[in-house]
Amino acid sequence: MSIAPLLRKVFLVDLIKGLGVTFRYQAPSEIVTEQYPLERPQIAERYRGQPRMNVNPDTGETLCLACELCALACPEKLIKITSQRNPTTKKKELVEFIYDTSRCMFCGLCEDACPSDALELTQDYEAALYGREGFILNRERLERGPEPTVYSR
Amino acid sequence: MGAFLKYLDKGVQVTPGEYGDYIWATIYILLIFTAVSIAVIAMNWLERKILAHMQIRLGPMRVGPHGLLQPIADALKLLIKEDIIPDEADKVVFWFAPIAVMMTAFTTYLVIPFGRAHAVTDMNIGVLFMLGVSSLSVLGIIMAGWSSNSHYPLMGSLRSSAQMVSYEIAMGLAIVSAVMMTSLRTGTGTLSMIGIVQAQFDQKSWFAFTMFPLGFVAFVVFAIAMVAETNRAPFDLPEAESELVAGFHTEYSGFRWSLFFLAEYASMIAVSSIAVTLWLGGWLRPFPNWLPGKTWDLAFGLFPALTFLILAGMCFLGTVRMPRIPQFKIQTIGLASFGAVLGSIGLVLLIPGVRERVLDMYWFALKVAFFMYLYIWYRGTFPRYRFDQLMRVGWKVLLPVSLGVVILVALAGLFTNNASVMGVLR
Repeated sequence: MSIAPLLRKVFLVDLIKGLGVTFRYQAPSEIVTEQYPLERPQIAERYRGQPRMNVNPDTGETLCLACELCALACPEKLIKITSQRNPTTKKKELVEFIYDTSRCMFCGLCEDACPSDALELTQDYEAALYGREGFILNRERLERGPEPTVYSR
Repeated sequence: MGAFLKYLDKGVQVTPGEYGDYIWATIYILLIFTAVSIAVIAMNWLERKILAHMQIRLGPMRVGPHGLLQPIADALKLLIKEDIIPDEADKVVFWFAPIAVMMTAFTTYLVIPFGRAHAVTDMNIGVLFMLGVSSLSVLGIIMAGWSSNSHYPLMGSLRSSAQMVSYEIAMGLAIVSAVMMTSLRTGTGTLSMIGIVQAQFDQKSWFAFTMFPLGFVAFVVFAIAMVAETNRAPFDLPEAESELVAGFHTEYSGFRWSLFFLAEYASMIAVSSIAVTLWLGGWLRPFPNWLPGKTWDLAFGLFPALTFLILAGMCFLGTVRMPRIPQFKIQTIGLASFGAVLGSIGLVLLIPGVRERVLDMYWFALKVAFFMYLYIWYRGTFPRYRFDQLMRVGWKVLLPVSLGVVILVALAGLFTNNASVMGVLR
């Protein structure tokens, strides 16, 4: 063994260097933990989470044209749309919109297919539930949009 | 009552054991037991917190402000947990093992001098007593491992005992070299813990710096061996999680497990205080040679109060930085009142009478606290040794080094100490 590595070993140089590294990392500014329910992470704009149906903010009417393009685009066939023709205006009007998130893979094809920007996948990621029933979203629930639980303690 | 208070007289500068006051000795024992238990609780919180910060985490944050009440919550949980004794276990031995381990850990505190007058008693074989009693804890660990009647505890306890026995030799030799240093100049050495500190005071040098680098090498050997002796990282093979589940206390749960935990931390503090007593001047204040005189004595005397005031200041800083949410109201008030308690302790420590009585305990506790921090620091930094590496370090490195130090200290002592040279020649 040559002299330099031997001296390093005898004077525990590597161990002391290691101690220095851990000591420096103690600075509170180094901490990367985020206290999840209290502070939430920044979600990217293009993140695809819980679906929402947008309404016209002025009139409160749905933006959905009931064209069923989203139902056609869906690879899982999980969107069910019922509509009826308004006898006076001769327009198709949305009656019920069923979105089954339990089978959804959040591919976003429905969102892309929508011609009127009515269907949107939001940035809400807290989708876990205690039962399967809650995963099937109807029109009313979709128009209300995701309701993230507020942590209060 | 008068006899009871006689010990508190200012003139009394001896331990209750030497004074022959059994009541005060009992009070000291109770005080030490409480203080050590509180220190273990604080250590539990500090370890989780410091370790977390070293790993760029936050550690406990939920129970109380910055998780200050976490150890209390943990203790409560452990106490109300179901107490399981395995069906095939040897009941009596299983029941007695944690008690044996804890008794040995706490018995060593009888001779630890927190100050000239602040020890239960001054035993003339103090160091020997501590070594003997603390090596008894191997017995408790073997009992725990064997009585569990399970593979992992048995393997863990065998490893643990092999490790403790082999490191005890290097540790003992390092201690011998320090004890030999007590006989420098006077020609008569001592094994009493208080006598060792007073020898350092008389020689005007802590033994870590006596005969440099001999004393320092012995100190380093002891510092390594004591980590192995208490089965802590990086020598925590007996409880290597990836190999042995939890080592000798795998089958223990609830209160019995917490006794093992308490004993482990208590023996960490005990072994650290041996190191402090033997090499770092026990309760003596730092830099007595560089900064002598009344002024510096007074300046160093303000340190305890200053420490508590700084801690209080940190609490208040934390209070100011608390998020302004109604949910944090109770936590903010709690932290502020904790800071107020610390601050008032700091103010009480400014009173001259209290200050002089507390000073030696403060320096001792500070030095021990440094060793406790070292334990956590090691745990955050070093990976665990393999068993053969552990044995190689113990037998092939530490043992020869400590033997060499003993021989060199003996020779150097002979030549510096004319009186004893004459004694040998005669």
